[in-house]
This record gives sequence, structure tokens and C-alpha cells, in this order.
Amino acid sequence: MFKNEEMEINLGPQHPSTHGVLRVKLRLDGETVVKCTPIIGYLHRGVEKICENKTFFQGQVWTDRMDYVAAISNNLGWAEGVEKLFGIEVPRRARYIRTMLTEMNRLASHLLWLATHALDIGAMTVFLYTFREREYLLDLFEAFCGARLTTTAFRIGGLREDLPPGFIKQAQAFQDIFLDCMEEYETLLSENRIWKKRTVGVAKINAEDCIALGITGPVLRAAGVPYDIRKAFPSAAYAEMDFEIPTRPEADTYARYLVRLAEMRQSHRIIQQCIDGLPEGPVMAKIPKILKSEVNEVYHSIEAPKGELGYYFVGEKGGTTPYRMHVRAPSFVNMQALSKMVEGRLLADVIAAIGTLDVVLGEIDR
Amino acid sequence: MSEPIEPQTPAEPEVPTGPYVYDYAASPQRQVVLPKTVPLPSLKTYRAEVVAQQAADEAKWQKMQADYETAKAKAEAEGKEAPKPPVKPVPRKDDNDMKTPWPQEAKAPDLLRLQELLGDKVEEVFEQAGELTCQVRKEALHEALRLCRDDASLKYEMLADQTGTHYPAAKDFAFSLVYQLTSISRRKRLRVRILVPEGFEPESACSLYPGANWMERETYDMLGIRFKDHPDMTRILCPEDWEGYPLRKEYPTVGWGQRDIDLREDRGGVLMRIAMEKAGQMGINLKQPQAD
Repeated sequence: MFKNEEMEINLGPQHPSTHGVLRVKLRLDGETVVKCTPIIGYLHRGVEKICENKTFFQGQVWTDRMDYVAAISNNLGWAEGVEKLFGIEVPRRARYIRTMLTEMNRLASHLLWLATHALDIGAMTVFLYTFREREYLLDLFEAFCGARLTTTAFRIGGLREDLPPGFIKQAQAFQDIFLDCMEEYETLLSENRIWKKRTVGVAKINAEDCIALGITGPVLRAAGVPYDIRKAFPSAAYAEMDFEIPTRPEADTYARYLVRLAEMRQSHRIIQQCIDGLPEGPVMAKIPKILKSEVNEVYHSIEAPKGELGYYFVGEKGGTTPYRMHVRAPSFVNMQALSKMVEGRLLADVIAAIGTLDVVLGEIDR
Repeated sequence: MSEPIEPQTPAEPEVPTGPYVYDYAASPQRQVVLPKTVPLPSLKTYRAEVVAQQAADEAKWQKMQADYETAKAKAEAEGKEAPKPPVKPVPRKDDNDMKTPWPQEAKAPDLLRLQELLGDKVEEVFEQAGELTCQVRKEALHEALRLCRDDASLKYEMLADQTGTHYPAAKDFAFSLVYQLTSISRRKRLRVRILVPEGFEPESACSLYPGANWMERETYDMLGIRFKDHPDMTRILCPEDWEGYPLRKEYPTVGWGQRDIDLREDRGGVLMRIAMEKAGQMGINLKQPQAD
């Protein structure tokens, strides 16, 4: 009468809680996950191949389309990678503005993560609160570069334009309200019994596994490893900033939530330091109109909201396009942790695990 | 009053005859220009280039002087005014904020340590743009990675990235594979590089760094390099039945491997007509396949 057999189901690729077109093949024993296989590639556009045929200036546009919720971080990685390839020194004011915008983008990305993660787990209200502040940030991006999401904010060698008049005032207004808003989110979630039941002890992955799998970002820091590229290999103006790396020892979904919230407070601190200490001076280095590379290869990585975002460039002699461009996408590598997180746990935890990894499929598939 | 307009019928798209083939070479958009140089960063090559450049400059200078001497002698013989003596050309200095990073001799203790441990298995060590590169023999990759991970003075715990580059113009290899290693505890980075010919299967790094699993699958998917002892050597980003390897230099940016329209699912015949028209425009011979 009762059959005891394993069942295979597909989660996605059109499921709303997979944050894009992710397909997860699940083998279930009742409600317990026996095997989990993420299948990716539905959004593959061949960005690396396209960028091989675009100049160093044009290629940056494509980086916006990879991690589309944190486009400025991607722009920073591209711009700094190319600057490393050519040995370009960026003016200090430009580096400060880059740092400020990247941190604002980290806030925007984490706000979107918090909204969707809470929505997946069943807390609708947080979504409305976080999107209110995210709109504010997107308006600031629009004031700076004319676009809300696909920003292409920087240029090789600095910035195209200085900050628009009134930008600092608006940014300061945001800074003044933001910490209160953070408290609102925490009131809604941190001690919420349902939230804690869905997240505490769920989707654990310890530090050894994280390092072996190459997992970076908040997931690694929530496992107790204080590794942040902003501190370890500082670029832009991060070396001059005073901030901490929040870590938690628990390595579960709740710890990642706390780490990301603490990170948002640190980003807030960095933005305040950029506003207060913004130096005067030019925003663009002196570089030729056409960049011609020498034979060289560089790997430059930055701390994107999702983890280590690395750009690998190979330049050829006299080339105006990269001979080879490769993106080390944080979500792509972090996605490998999903099987380890959910195998042996319940089906509902898969949704929490996908949310807590904070993946963006545009970046995984490129 | 104008003449009444004749009702016009759209021209039927011409159905090409002949077998069902994709003729990629026929379309001008699908022409690929293969690179003629091998932009493989290397200290040896750079030094050889510098020496050759210096020799060429010196030869040019000698020739300028010799020309001047002959011109002077000729002018003296004819009783004319002597020509101006040549000025040694100095390299042009650009007024910009760029400082090209050239390859430099390895001074980092990690590179020297690797060289000491691996001996003649190391092909080359150098530094460029502040990054350390260690090129090892393709058979010694696993050993080198194991040393990087386990040696007490190296301790590169994490494989940050793994990828490759296609060099069609190179003679004794076809691809370079790079492994970007990170040491979290010591805050340092290292690049391990191997050069592999077409068809060579390097050993998979999965047993040392489990995170290499998807990275190597991506390398296989994009460049067609298979890895030995890999747990699941399948395509990851492209569909399983994809033809060709997109990041090879002979792969065009348009076309090749693009999925064909499945004509069996096209009940109304709409897709078939569009496909025929497009194929006709692109100069492709696309004949309707016979139903089984």
C-alpha cells in the first residue's frame, strides 16, 4: 500500500524563488533532499567572447549585464583590471568617488538580497521597506551617471564626470536616515520567531568546506573566516578607510543574515568617510584616446557584494581589445556550495539556501 | 487621376536545392581572422625582444652614421656644404599617467621556494604588474598545486580561479591554463601556469581543490580541454549537444553552433518559412529535411 521510493523533481528554471533561471534537479526521499544538482547556463550570452571583440572602453558596458543588481562593483573590477594591465595611476578623488559609489551599490545589492530572501521565506513586509531605501540609492546613481541599473559608472583612468552638484547633500541625507531604516528591518526580522525557525541551523557549511570550494564573500565570513578583499588586497581607496570585517562562527543562514546586516553598517561607515574626506583634484588620469596594450596578463579581483569578483585579462602587443578576458564570477563558484548545504535536509530549506547564497544568474551564466 | 495600382503579391522565397548543409565559410559575417602572434607573457620572450630591439636600434644608428659619412665625403668632393651630422634617436616619452608593467625577474620568496622544490619541472618564474607567475611542465601540474597547498611556507589554501587561453599561432602548444591561487592566511596570490598542446589531458585539480570542479567544466565547455580524473566532465554553460568550443579563436562570433530551429515542432510552418528566408539571405543552403 505504501511505496517507499525516491522521487526526482525539478525546481525551476522558471520558479520565482530561484532568482533567475536556475534549475535545480532534486532527488527526494519524502521531503528530504537526497541529491541536489544545480543546472546552469540558461542565461549564457558569451560575454567573454563578446569582450574579446570590443575595445577596453566598450567592454565595460557588458559588465553591467552580468551582476545586474551590483553593476557598479562589476564596473570597478573591469576598470581597475584594465588599469592594472596598462599601469594607469588613478587620481585620488576619482578613487574616493569610486569607493563611495561601490559601497552604495553594495547597500543596494544587500537590500535587494534582504528583500527577496525574506520574501522567499515568507516575510513580505521587509520587501516594501528595503525597496524604499533602494530607490533612494538608485536615484543617486541616476543623478551620477544617468542610469539606475546598467550604470557603466567609471571610465578607464578615472571618471567621466565629477559628482553632479547637490550629490553630496543628497548622499548625506540618505546617510542620515539609513541607520534608522536598518533598525526597522532588524525589528521585523532579527527576533522574529518564524524567521529564526526558518534560518537558524539551516544550510550550514563550515569554513574548511568553504575554503576548499573557493567560496568567498558573506558566506565565508559567516563561517568565521575574516577574509575580505577590501582588507586583504585593497584597491580604490579602501586602504585609507577605517572599517571592520564582520564575522560569525555559526555558519548557518541566520549567521549570514547577521553578517550581511553588519556589512551594511560598515558600508554606511565607509560612505560617510568618503563624504567627509573627499579630496579635491582631477577625476581623470592622463591617458591616450586609444589604449594599446603590451603582452601582459593580470588577474584583478575586488570584493563584490556576492564575493570575490575577479577579472583575468591577457593583452597582446598593440591590441586595442583584450586577447582574452575571463570573469571569475562569485555566484558561479558559490553555487557549488548548494549541494553541500541542502543534502540531507528538507525541501523547504533549498529555497532558504538559494536565497542565502545570494546568487545572480546573469553573473553565473555570463 | 493616377493609374490604379496593381495588387502586388509577395515573392515566394526561393527554396535552395541540394543537401542540407551549413556552409559557414559562405557567409561574410562568419569569417574569422586568426591571430598571428602568440601573446604569452614571459620573461624569456621579453628579454629576447629587448635584446633584438637594441640590436636593431644599434644597426639603424650605425647605418645612419655610415650614410652621413658617405654623404659628407660626397659633399666635400663636390665642394658643397657638408650635411648635418645625425642625432641619435631617443625613445619618445609620452606625457601620460601610464607606466607599462614589464615582466621582471622573480624575487618573491614563494617563487624561489617553488623553483627550489620543483627543480627542473619549473619552466619559468617571473613577476609582472605585481603578480607572481610560475610556469611548470604540464605533467608536473598536480605536484606543483599540491606543494602550493601543503608546503608550510606557501600555504595557498584557495583556488580562486582557473581558466585558459587559446593560442592558435603557437607551434608547440595550443593553450595556456592558469590557476589563480590565494592564500587567505598570508594575504598573497600566485598564478600557476601550464602550456598544453591540442588533445593533451591535464590532471584535474578537483582532488586538491574541490572548487575546481565547475571551473574545469567551464574550461572544457569553452576551450575543449578535457581533464583527467574529473568527476563529471560535461558541458556546463552551453547545452550538451553544442558544437564547437566558443572561446577558441577559430570560433566565429556569429553562427557556428547556434541552435537550429526544430522543424518537427513547427506545425504551422511559420518557423520554417522564416528559416528559409533567413538562410537565403545569409547564403546558406537549407533544404527542408524529409519526414521520416
